[in-house]
Amino acid sequence: MKSFSRLVYPYIIWSFLLVLLPLILIALYAIVEGGSGIITFKFTLNNFIRFFKDPIFIEVLLRSLNIAFITTIICILIGYPAAYIIAGFNDRSQKISILLITLPMLINMLVRTYAWRGILLISDFNPEIKVFIGMVYNFLPFMILQIYTSLTKMDPKLVVAAQDLGCDKKEAFLRVTFPLSIPGIISGITLVFLPAVSSFFIPKLLGGGSFVVIGNLIESYFVTAGNWNFGSAISIIMTIVILISMYFTRRFDYNKEVR
Amino acid sequence: MKKIIEFKNITKSFDNSVVLKGINLDIYENEFVTLLGPSGCGKTTLLRILGGFLQQDKGEVYFNGEEISNIPPHKRNVNTIFQKYALFPHLNVYENVAFGLKIKKIANDVIEQKVNRMIALVGLDGYQKKDVTLLSGGQQQRVAIARALVNEPEVLLLDEPLAALDLKLRKEMQSELKRIQEEVGITFIFVTHDQEEALTMSDKIVVMKDGNIQQIGNPTQIYNEPENVYVANFIGESNIIDGVMKDDYLVKFDDMEYKCVDFGFAKNEPVDIMIRPEDIKINKNKNGKLNGEIKSVLFKGVHYEMIVNTKIGTSKTVTMHVLAERDVFNEEAKEKMSASDFTMDLEDVKELTDSDIIARANAQVWNSENNSDIGIKEVVHEIKETPGKYPVTFKSSAGTSITINVTVIEPKFIQDKESNIGIQAFDFYKTVDEIKESMAISVDLKTWADAFAWNLDNDKNIEITDVWYDFDPDEIVEGDYEITFSTKGREFKVHSTKRFEVDDEVSLEFEPEDIHIMKKMR
Repeated sequence: MKSFSRLVYPYIIWSFLLVLLPLILIALYAIVEGGSGIITFKFTLNNFIRFFKDPIFIEVLLRSLNIAFITTIICILIGYPAAYIIAGFNDRSQKISILLITLPMLINMLVRTYAWRGILLISDFNPEIKVFIGMVYNFLPFMILQIYTSLTKMDPKLVVAAQDLGCDKKEAFLRVTFPLSIPGIISGITLVFLPAVSSFFIPKLLGGGSFVVIGNLIESYFVTAGNWNFGSAISIIMTIVILISMYFTRRFDYNKEVR
Repeated sequence: MKKIIEFKNITKSFDNSVVLKGINLDIYENEFVTLLGPSGCGKTTLLRILGGFLQQDKGEVYFNGEEISNIPPHKRNVNTIFQKYALFPHLNVYENVAFGLKIKKIANDVIEQKVNRMIALVGLDGYQKKDVTLLSGGQQQRVAIARALVNEPEVLLLDEPLAALDLKLRKEMQSELKRIQEEVGITFIFVTHDQEEALTMSDKIVVMKDGNIQQIGNPTQIYNEPENVYVANFIGESNIIDGVMKDDYLVKFDDMEYKCVDFGFAKNEPVDIMIRPEDIKINKNKNGKLNGEIKSVLFKGVHYEMIVNTKIGTSKTVTMHVLAERDVFNEEAKEKMSASDFTMDLEDVKELTDSDIIARANAQVWNSENNSDIGIKEVVHEIKETPGKYPVTFKSSAGTSITINVTVIEPKFIQDKESNIGIQAFDFYKTVDEIKESMAISVDLKTWADAFAWNLDNDKNIEITDVWYDFDPDEIVEGDYEITFSTKGREFKVHSTKRFEVDDEVSLEFEPEDIHIMKKMR
């Protein structure tokens, strides 16, 4: 095995160049003052102070978290029953259902969102609802697949055992099936909440210009305003917020491998 | 004892295959009942019907006199221990055991008391907070037992619960289960395919095959008085012999009559006879009623297992004529020629060609100086389609010739009506060299003599197991030799603490009560 361990080196270099290095650069930009030269570093926390002093920025951050949170909840509410029903199908129907769910993911997310924009043009929903429709549509498959996987991995004998011990079908679900599918829900949350909180084109395309989320903010500071330092600071703040929320989500998980 | 469960004429099929064919079975209070049979015999299906996880197609299940077919599993007073335990991985040992009681909304302090008592009963005290997925197979098994028993079911169903354990642990859990059953005093219904497990633990064994019950009885009855060949073979080791019941208390097999203790069969009714290997006494002399020769000896720890051949099978003896290589030398042409006599079947004469004759006689011509082969130009013969001896002359173009004899015979075989076996073999001619060159003499002898045996009823091939001859293939000289081909005779498996050597001549003895007569299976 030792000889194979060398194969990991290209990957380490790759991760360093494409993951770690950009992160370091972002962190660096966030704590220096803007200027024309790269060599003239000047340490400052002003970027962060500016963000927290302005209630508009805080409002945008909270709005983003709120959208991501509600999107995640809706995805669980729709995704869990869907996954549960699919897991109860016979083999063939399961495969077809999973194929149908994954099929839209083969098409670029941007294209699909444009499609939704066309569909929603004829409706007179308010922008917020349009954004939720787009978000849920885009992220729901991730939730369904995660929960479906955790449900099918479960030993079907466990439900039989629960019934044997006196549970009716509802109790067996609440006491055995559901607790054992929580790891699936957790990874579903991770896969929905993370991209939802940082998504910027769905709110932009479906919500119209009026609907600014943190992703739009970062985009505009980098692209439109050209203020990379403040944009980097917002990115860092968002990363930290996400890490904290993920930490709390993980704490709900059982701290062990569920077989 | 009170009847607790009654199965009445239960049938069940899955996709056109009938798994249970009308099961009738009564189970009493405090019994340890084992459903025994190979996989696919329907034992687990019966258990699932009782647990409420399957619905029978026909028939009724009574529990304490009440028909329960429409009662869902969670309302039945039975609990199950599953093959792979099905412990809840998200709960610890205590929570797993407490599961059933919590569903029943019992007060917490009562639950705690009952659960801890049960955990102690299965020997897991101190493991309450342990993660069940980290326990060993045996410990998981104990948790499963506690989880089921804490609900105080009237009947505990065990679906091959020991199958996943290794041998030593299995033995341990066998006595453990028996102890727990005696301690809690409820009915255990245990499903297994392991006959030894069934014999050690059960009060009652139900032997099943293909959806039917073959026999119900206690372990001693099942072992000593199996109902039929199937049960006898499934439980323990046995010698099964075809025999005929001559009269009450008198049975005949292999041309000998033996006293037995069975009665109530028709006169001359064909029966199966079972004699357990440990019931046969073996003595070192050859003047008993049943004599034989030791064929093999295996040491089995406590005893020796010996195979004793008491009857040589149906046999046919033929003569092998061994000739020296007869060659003629034509000095003028510097040619040598050889050929040998052979015997052939009358049926083969019709399609006989010259090249057949050359091949059968192994006729050859070669240059005596450089050994190069020369073709045979002419075969002169007058073989007719009647049995007899015919001269055949082979000639080469240079005029060298040799004459041999071909014997044409009618196919001969003998029929052994008693054993229902036909066996055939022919006399044949071979040269010394051919025999010396043989790599596997027994196989070649069978081929040369065209020996085979078959069942007279259905023409099916029967293996010729023994080829007897009295010569050393490497040292053979011209002459006639007897060769006997025989099928397998009667072999007895005998367990004894006395050791014998292979080829020892022995006599076998058994008491009338050791002979167990069974009706033939339909």
